[in-house]
Amino acid sequence: MTSDVLLRRSVALLAAAGLALSAAACSSGTSSGGDAGKAGSADAAAPLDPAAKVTVSIDCQPPVSKPAERKQWADDVAAFNKLYPNVTVASKDGFPCEEPAAFTAQLKGRTQTDVFYSYFTDLNQVLDANGAADISAYVNEKTVPALKDIDPSVLATLKADGKLYGLPTSNYKMGLLYNRKLFKQAGLDPEKPPTTWAEIREAAKKIAALGNGVNGYGDYSATNQGGWHYTAELYGLGGSMTTADGKKAAFNTAEGKQVLQNLYDLRWTDNAMGATQGLKWPDLMTRMATDKLGMYVGAPDDITYMVQTLKGNYDDYGMGPMPGGKSALLGGNDYIFKKGSTPDQIKAGIAWINFKYLTIGKGQFDYARTKGDGLPVGLPQPFFFTGAGLAADNRAKAASATVPVQNYAPYLAASVPGKTEPANAQQIYKVLDNAVSAVLTDRGANVDKLLADAESQVNQVLANLQ
Amino acid sequence: MRTLISDTQLNRPGGRRAYRIVLVLVVLVFTLVFLGPLYWLVTGGLKSTREVIQNPPTLFPHQLHPATYREAWSQLRIGRLLFNTLYYAFGALALQLVFDVAAAYALSKLRPVLGNLILGMMLATLMIPAAVLIVPQYLTVLDLPLLHVNLVNTPWAIWLPTVANAFNIFLLKRFFDSIPEELMAAAAIDGASPLRALWSIVLPMSRPILGVVSIFAVVNVWKDFLWPLLVQPDPRNQPLNIGINSLSLGVSQNVVIAALAIASAPTVVFFLIFQRNIMAGLTSGGLKG
Amino acid sequence: MAAIRTSTRQRVRQNLTAHGFLLGALLCFGYFSWYPMVREVVMSFQKTKRGRTTWVGLDNLDRIVQDPAFWQAWRNTLLFTVLALLLGFAVPFVVAVLLNELRHAKAYLRVLVYLPVMMPPVASVLLFKYFYDPGHGLFNHLLAGLGLPTLAWLNSSTTAMFSVVLAATWMTMGGATLIYLAALQNIPGELYEAAELDGAGLLRRIWHVTVPQTRLILSLLLLLQIVATMQVFVEPFLLTGGNGPEGSTTTVVYLIYQYAFNFDNYGSASALGLVMLLVLAGFSGLYVRLSRSAD
Repeated sequence: MTSDVLLRRSVALLAAAGLALSAAACSSGTSSGGDAGKAGSADAAAPLDPAAKVTVSIDCQPPVSKPAERKQWADDVAAFNKLYPNVTVASKDGFPCEEPAAFTAQLKGRTQTDVFYSYFTDLNQVLDANGAADISAYVNEKTVPALKDIDPSVLATLKADGKLYGLPTSNYKMGLLYNRKLFKQAGLDPEKPPTTWAEIREAAKKIAALGNGVNGYGDYSATNQGGWHYTAELYGLGGSMTTADGKKAAFNTAEGKQVLQNLYDLRWTDNAMGATQGLKWPDLMTRMATDKLGMYVGAPDDITYMVQTLKGNYDDYGMGPMPGGKSALLGGNDYIFKKGSTPDQIKAGIAWINFKYLTIGKGQFDYARTKGDGLPVGLPQPFFFTGAGLAADNRAKAASATVPVQNYAPYLAASVPGKTEPANAQQIYKVLDNAVSAVLTDRGANVDKLLADAESQVNQVLANLQ
Repeated sequence: MRTLISDTQLNRPGGRRAYRIVLVLVVLVFTLVFLGPLYWLVTGGLKSTREVIQNPPTLFPHQLHPATYREAWSQLRIGRLLFNTLYYAFGALALQLVFDVAAAYALSKLRPVLGNLILGMMLATLMIPAAVLIVPQYLTVLDLPLLHVNLVNTPWAIWLPTVANAFNIFLLKRFFDSIPEELMAAAAIDGASPLRALWSIVLPMSRPILGVVSIFAVVNVWKDFLWPLLVQPDPRNQPLNIGINSLSLGVSQNVVIAALAIASAPTVVFFLIFQRNIMAGLTSGGLKG
Repeated sequence: MAAIRTSTRQRVRQNLTAHGFLLGALLCFGYFSWYPMVREVVMSFQKTKRGRTTWVGLDNLDRIVQDPAFWQAWRNTLLFTVLALLLGFAVPFVVAVLLNELRHAKAYLRVLVYLPVMMPPVASVLLFKYFYDPGHGLFNHLLAGLGLPTLAWLNSSTTAMFSVVLAATWMTMGGATLIYLAALQNIPGELYEAAELDGAGLLRRIWHVTVPQTRLILSLLLLLQIVATMQVFVEPFLLTGGNGPEGSTTTVVYLIYQYAFNFDNYGSASALGLVMLLVLAGFSGLYVRLSRSAD
């Protein structure tokens, strides 16, 4: 009897505790809302007082497998502490910096660092988890001197309802990567990469004619990357994935069909993509690094991967603008400030990010040091400065360049405007994966039907999210 | 011992030849299927980056690059990852041996009120996909109800949930059930406490099943992926599976292969040394039909 | 009266001791299994937007059913389970029967079969990922060397699931093989002799002696294997990135993971988890009833 009652009571207690806990979790979100704003609009705009004693935790310290970058981080922390001796930067390493499961878990558990790494596309998720502090009042020309030179379309990815939640650290615009060696072998001019899909088809045919398993053009079609590249290619032609309010699909258009038709023609009419499809990151890089692939759509840091990890040569890879040239998919990463951080923590975080990522000549823009550490200098990434900042950055970069900067001249010269990914990108990409995969694996694929199906599915997915 | 095919049948001339052919074939195929990948792993780690990703693949490394192993060891911090994995595995084993044996003993021999209901509730958890509970479980570990302790980044986050292993409790209970009641009754008449009876009667008889449960306990931790990914965010505390997989994205493929070879070595060697005991435990243990 | 009272007290004391022994396990089950289960159910009726959690009733359930991936995931899970049972159930059984008949090299072969179980899964999975690569992978090279047509393995929607099952079977068949071996060794030899005297051939002996004699352990393993295979996660997650070409390896558990961790939609993840829970519970209940009526 006793044990029976005991058990029943403990079960009840457990259940009650559970309810209380989840109730507490609900309410804590609303109660902690005000403190960032309360911290005073009067002094929020002022830079961090060097006398202020504050500890701020920051993730994405480079891992041990990247010793040079790790050492740079340590040196930068030491240099930063000369300016702000009372700030303790508590570094947390981890690779990759953002892993979806761990990222979601830390947001749910509010265990993210005070200043935490994220992708441009994550802001919505972070806000839904009530995980970000509004830093609009803290960021100005005094705290971030380069602010006026930062591309507004990049800052826009970190804003919601007019409030700023983070600062960018790197970004990329997609373009056309190509293998200069294969271009030469196929009798193409490596200084003039194709800029339209018609030119790509011409070049791809010639490269594929080299034989020996060489493909002219390649594209991803799995793990949502097919949808991601579909989006990039649609942007190049001037299309959009969703309507402006993000509630309806907007890709079932002439441009949208053109993207699928291009892939279909490259695969079946020109036979320039090879029989192996269903590719995903990093398959295209592996193929290009082994001189089996002529062209694909990608980001500048793919070149770093091909050289550092796949042991290719910088000389062999060139980059041109996004085919179509109307707009280029823009992505990147940033640091967001955890909700509930003290004003001094936010200021210290901004000071650190400004020092490490946003000051020309310092931190990541200390090109002389990067060169000295044997890391590449001269790639068009990050790419968020405009105006005077861009000019200064380009000069500094050219002075220490270790990679053939002229190989990216066609990409830089075109300066295609950046366009950010749609809201709820991953859900949309997942649907488009199927359409892309179908045109690449099914000779009888019906582009119109595929796109109509994808449209209705995306509309369904978006409706479900309302 | 008599099996499906009798010795007399095998000793016939035709039988003997057929047996020879089957034997040779089985040995060859098994060696290829189970040792082949290991060979590829060890030699792959000796190849250069370009050779590993070249097409067609090579059977022997063109040039030996033993330095890849050193690079893998230091860049992926394998020593640390291995230590973590063993630490988690044996900690989990110790806790399971204490708590699961005690629970199975209570359910089998002490038969408390509601014992069957408790057993049923435990067995019910076998039906729940681990991935389904992963977020509520994570939230629980972040802030244990009533105690308000955060276990993330501590080994307890891995150890304690492994105790809730219904399969092990079930195996142990089934084995304990087969220990004659008269022995227990005799011990009780002699005035032995339940703990003493467990220690001096039940446990000595249960060595085979304890071996089996131990292997399962260690292997479970050894194999787990999603849970340690969430509860050990600090790379210094991560087990092998997580550490290697996440770092593998940023280093060359030959280095990853070398890392995998190093990571596989300890358990494979351990297994080869103790295979007789492990096999005996697994095959004779309480898993009889 | 006195006798009854002492026995009551004794029983209370016995019970307290027993629950004392149970306490550690009960706490762990409570904290890490039962309580999260309750929480999971609660969350499947909730939705969180901008930090606000609201009750939405059956909305989550309604939405997951409308997701085109829902039925595909169930079809894939079913396909995976059937394939995994064909391979993961039949192969170890055949191997066990074979090993049990061999008079030589038995220890060696047993060690070989169990070797992959001892490897860290990340090693086995990445190994297969490299083997499957349609470009520089070993498997296509072997097929081409044998004059056979090459396959796209993980890169094609038709072969991706099969490739995942193949890798999973290699990784885990050692455990099942050993269990079957143990069961086979417990079959009394006289049964085979008797069958032989009755003129039963090899296959009939397997069917009439081996299978019935190992039925109990076979069925227990079958149940566990079905439940385990329906929960498969790591292999598709690491091999195909989860979805696979055209969603061909999206399993229900991966879909749950995706809702929770990629789509930031924990309500849908919980609701789908609940559906899966009910399906597995229903299946297990049916199984228990069937096996009882068979006894």
